[in-house]
Amino acid sequence: MTAFEPWMLLVVSILVFCIGLLGLILRKNLLVMLMSIELMLNAVNLCFVTFSKMHQLLDGHLTVLFVMTVAAAESAVGLGLVIAMFRNLRSVDSDQIQLLRD
Amino acid sequence: MITSMILFPLAGFVINGAWSLWSARNGTRVSPRVSGSIATTAMVAAFMAAIMARAQIPATGSIEVDCFRWFSLGSLSVDFKLRLDALSSIFTLVITGVGAMIHLYSVSYMEEDEAAGKYFAYLNLFCFMMLNLVLGGTLPQVFLGWEGVGLASYLLIGFWYREEANVAAGQKAFIMNRIGDLGFLIAMFIGYKYSGSLDLTTVEKVILPAGVGTSFVLLIFLACTGKSAQLPLFTWLPDAMAGPTPVSALIHAATMVTSGVYLLARLSPVISQSATGMAVIAGIGAATALITAIIACFQRDIKKVLAYSTVSQLGFMFAACGVGAFGAGVFHVMTHAFFKALLFLAAGSVIHGLHGEQDIFKMGGLKKKLPVTFWTFTAGWAAILGLPPFSGFFSKDEILHQALVSNSGSAWLFGVLLIAAVLTAFYMTRLYRLVFFGTPRMDQAKFDHAHESPVPMALPLVLLGVLSLAGGFAGEPVHLAHPESALSTPTWVIMIVSVIAAAIGATIAFRRYSVSEVKAEPTSDVFRIDAVYSKLFGGGLGVIASASQWLEERVVQGMIRMVAAVTDLSGNMIRVLQVGSAQAYLLMMIIALVVMVFYFMKGVV
Repeated sequence: MTAFEPWMLLVVSILVFCIGLLGLILRKNLLVMLMSIELMLNAVNLCFVTFSKMHQLLDGHLTVLFVMTVAAAESAVGLGLVIAMFRNLRSVDSDQIQLLRD
Repeated sequence: MITSMILFPLAGFVINGAWSLWSARNGTRVSPRVSGSIATTAMVAAFMAAIMARAQIPATGSIEVDCFRWFSLGSLSVDFKLRLDALSSIFTLVITGVGAMIHLYSVSYMEEDEAAGKYFAYLNLFCFMMLNLVLGGTLPQVFLGWEGVGLASYLLIGFWYREEANVAAGQKAFIMNRIGDLGFLIAMFIGYKYSGSLDLTTVEKVILPAGVGTSFVLLIFLACTGKSAQLPLFTWLPDAMAGPTPVSALIHAATMVTSGVYLLARLSPVISQSATGMAVIAGIGAATALITAIIACFQRDIKKVLAYSTVSQLGFMFAACGVGAFGAGVFHVMTHAFFKALLFLAAGSVIHGLHGEQDIFKMGGLKKKLPVTFWTFTAGWAAILGLPPFSGFFSKDEILHQALVSNSGSAWLFGVLLIAAVLTAFYMTRLYRLVFFGTPRMDQAKFDHAHESPVPMALPLVLLGVLSLAGGFAGEPVHLAHPESALSTPTWVIMIVSVIAAAIGATIAFRRYSVSEVKAEPTSDVFRIDAVYSKLFGGGLGVIASASQWLEERVVQGMIRMVAAVTDLSGNMIRVLQVGSAQAYLLMMIIALVVMVFYFMKGVV
C-alpha cells in the first residue's frame, strides 16, 4: 500500500467540500442540505488531519474531535428543526420558508 | 429701610399672585376689595419706608446696602446692591407716593373686574421692578428693573386680553422697547469695557474717549427713546392706553416712562462729556415735544390726548437734560408725575362716571355732575398749562429758561419748546372745555346716570390735586439731587412770556369750542407715523420674511427632502437583493467570500 501524498488528500478534501457546497446551494430538500453540511464539515476534518500529519502536530487531531462533537450536536438540532417544519408545512422544501422576505 | 421699601411691593405681588393662582385653580374669585387693600397697604408701607429712608441720607452722598452676590463670571462679579441718594430718593418718593394713591384709586376702579387679584399682583410687581430700577446700584440691576417694568407694562396693557387690539397694543409696546433695550445692553458693555466694573459709582465716573463717549450717549438715549417714548419710538405709548386707566396713570404717565430721564440724570457725568450726544438729546426732545403736541390737538379719545400730552411733556424733560439741566428735567418728572397722574385719574373718573365713554365729543357739561373730578382736573389743567402758582409753572419755566440761557441752549430750542407750550395749552383747554362745559352731547339717559366716583377714587384725586397745586414749591430737594445744575430762578421775562403763551393757547381753544353747536372733529394722526412705520419697516420685514420663507421651503427643506430621496432610492436598489431564499443569501455570501479572499491574497500570490 503506497502512502498518499498530502496534496492528494487535500484535493480530495477540496472536492468533497465543493460537492457539499454545491449541494447546499442547489438542492431544495432540507435533509439533503443537512447532509451536504456534514460533507463540508468532514472535508474540513480531512484537511485538518492532513496538515496535522504533515507537521507532526496533534493540534489538528484535537480540533477534529471538537468539530465532530459540534457536528453531531448541529445535526441533532437541525433534524429537530426539519421535523418541526415538516409537521407544520407537510414539506421539507427550503423554498417554502421565506416568511422573512416581506 | 431701603430693603424693606422694595420688599413691601414684592410681598404684595407674591401674596396677590399666589392667591390669584390658588383661586383660579379652585374656581373661586379673588375679592377685589381685599386684594386691593393688600396691594395698597404694601404701597403705603413702602411710601413710609421711602420717607424714613430719605431722612437717613447724609447731606452729600448716598446710603448703600449690599444684599447678596448676584452672579460672578470670571473676574466680574455683580452684587445685588441698593443705593439711595438724593436723585433716587425723589424717584422712590414719587413711585411709592403716587403709586399708593393709584393703588387706592384702583380698588374702586377695578371693583367689578373678575381678575382684580391678577391686576393688583401685576401692579405690585411693577412697583417692585420700578424701585429696583431707581435703587439699583449696578447697571445689570438697573437693567433688571428696566426689563421688569417693561414686562409689567406689557402684562397690564394687555390686561383685558379678550380684545385682540389690547393684546396687539401690549406686544407693540414690548417690541418697540426691545429696540431701545439693545442700546442699553451695548452701552452697558461699553461702560464695562472702559471702567472695568458695572457698579454705577464707577461707571458714572468713567471718562470715555470722544467717539466712544458719543456712541455711549446715543445708545443710552436709544434705550430712553424706547422706554420714555421719544421720537422715533414713541408710537407705542398712545396705543398703551388700551390698559386700565390707573395703569395709564401710574406706568404710562407718572413713573415708567420717566425712567429714561432717571437714567440720563444718573449717568449725567458721562453723558455731559459728549456735546454731540447732548445736542441730539435736546433736539429729539424738543422735536418730540412739538410733534406730539400737534398730534394731541387732533385726538378725540380723552386718554389718547393725555397720552400724546405725556410724550410731549417727556420731550420737555429730555430737552432739559440735553442742555445740561438735569435738575430741571428731574424736577419736571416730579411735577409731571403729580399733575399727569391726576389728569389720568380724573379722566378715569369721567370714563367711570359715563360707563366707559372715552370720546370727548360725546361728553360736555359734566362740571355739575362730577364736581370733585372737575375741580381736581382744573388743578391738573392749570399745572400742565404752567399757570402760577401751580407746579407745572415752576418746572416748565425752568426748562424754558435753561433752553435759552444754558451753554448748549439756543433761541431755536426755546422757540420750539415755546410753540409746544402754546399747543399744550390749546389741546388741554380743548379737552377741558369739551368735557366739562357746554351742553351735554350724549344721550339724556347717559347724562342722567353720570355719577361722581366713590371716596377711594376721589381721595387720590384730591391729594394729587393738592400736590399739583403745591408741588412746585418742593424744588429744593431736586436742587440737592443735582448741585451742579442748581435751579436758577427764571427771569421775569421768561415767566411772563410762558404765561402769555399758555394764555394764548387756552384762549384760542376756549373761543373755538365755546360755540353752541360743537362740530365733532375726526381723529387724525396728522403725520401718519404709524402708517409710515408699517410701510417702511413692515414692508421691509415682509420682503425679508418672504425671502426667508422661500429659502426655508426650497433650500432647507429641499436638502432634507434630498437626504430622504437618496435613502429611499438606495433602499429600493438594495431591496432587489432581498429575495428571501436562504440559499440565495448563501450564494451571495460565498461569492463575497471568494472576492474577499482574492482581494486579500492579491499581494501574497
